[in-house]
Amino acid sequence: MSFLVNPYWFGTGGCTDADALAFLTATGITDPTITSAICTLVTSMKANGTWAKCNAIYPFVGGTSTTHMYNLKSPLNVNSSFRLFFSGGWTHSANGAQANGTNSFADTYLIPSSELTLLNTHLSFYSRTYTIGNGQRDIAAYTLGATPSFSLGTNTGVLISDHYWYTTNRMSRSIPNAQGMMLTSRTSDTVHKAYRNGTQLGATDNVSNAGNVMPSISLYLGVANVTPLAPTSYSTKEYAFASIGAGLSDAEAATLYTDVQAFQTTLSRNV
Amino acid sequence: MIVYLLTPEQAESLINVEVVQDNFFNPIQDADGNWIISQEEVDQCNIRWVKSLPQIEYNPVIPKDPY
Repeated sequence: MSFLVNPYWFGTGGCTDADALAFLTATGITDPTITSAICTLVTSMKANGTWAKCNAIYPFVGGTSTTHMYNLKSPLNVNSSFRLFFSGGWTHSANGAQANGTNSFADTYLIPSSELTLLNTHLSFYSRTYTIGNGQRDIAAYTLGATPSFSLGTNTGVLISDHYWYTTNRMSRSIPNAQGMMLTSRTSDTVHKAYRNGTQLGATDNVSNAGNVMPSISLYLGVANVTPLAPTSYSTKEYAFASIGAGLSDAEAATLYTDVQAFQTTLSRNV
Repeated sequence: MIVYLLTPEQAESLINVEVVQDNFFNPIQDADGNWIISQEEVDQCNIRWVKSLPQIEYNPVIPKDPY
């Protein structure tokens, strides 16, 4: 009697999800703990309906700029796959990508007005950094002199969210520290919410956003992409996850946090 | 905070140059108009002349726009 053994199956820890395997192949990651964490994250997000709502997912695994740059949703080394283009003084480690607050950012190449649906958007990141930096934008694009701003960041003591009308729709919500999963979502003209670790922060912003538009420049990670000026408001946070996509419901925001926290726990970098 | 001072020509020469694989230099101007790069870029790169750049205290640009 003989057995047919596929060594690749064992090398991927039994993971059979095609999207997870594509990411692992692109990054060259074979570590069994990371493999298991990625496979579970992808299958859980698919089961919970959040995978389909993301255009970009950055899991920041593998510890290098090369492994950190890939979008889990489309792991190709091209701008059109929203692969991160890292610039400046990043520190890459097994814990994620640490910005320096001076000149580090990453271009996502994801242009909100081209890729996302108006009034149906979310931004998220998982921060391992405790201190709430003032004037820091973590995922952001803004057109100076006009209203469109699509931004997630922090000012002293608060999480800041613009989806999209910065002058009338800016949401500031108190947070005890900058650690954990920050997520902001717009699901309609009058529903704009912020969450930390799956729980809504304060009240819903219900000011009408009708007639607004989204920025037509790409979102940057670690700073605000501001046209026509230089990037503004560099962050000092260490990122261990980030996502960009369609608006999420309360239940989806909660399950995404649960999935991401399990992912971080598997990788022993949860906060 | 310490940063590293570049001439305009040196700043230009670092455009599209990798600090490490898939992470590129980003020379920026401080509030005094100096071209600078960060401690992390100097520490991580393998370019000899970059490692011998003079140090200066960082004076960040304060945005006029309230954004």
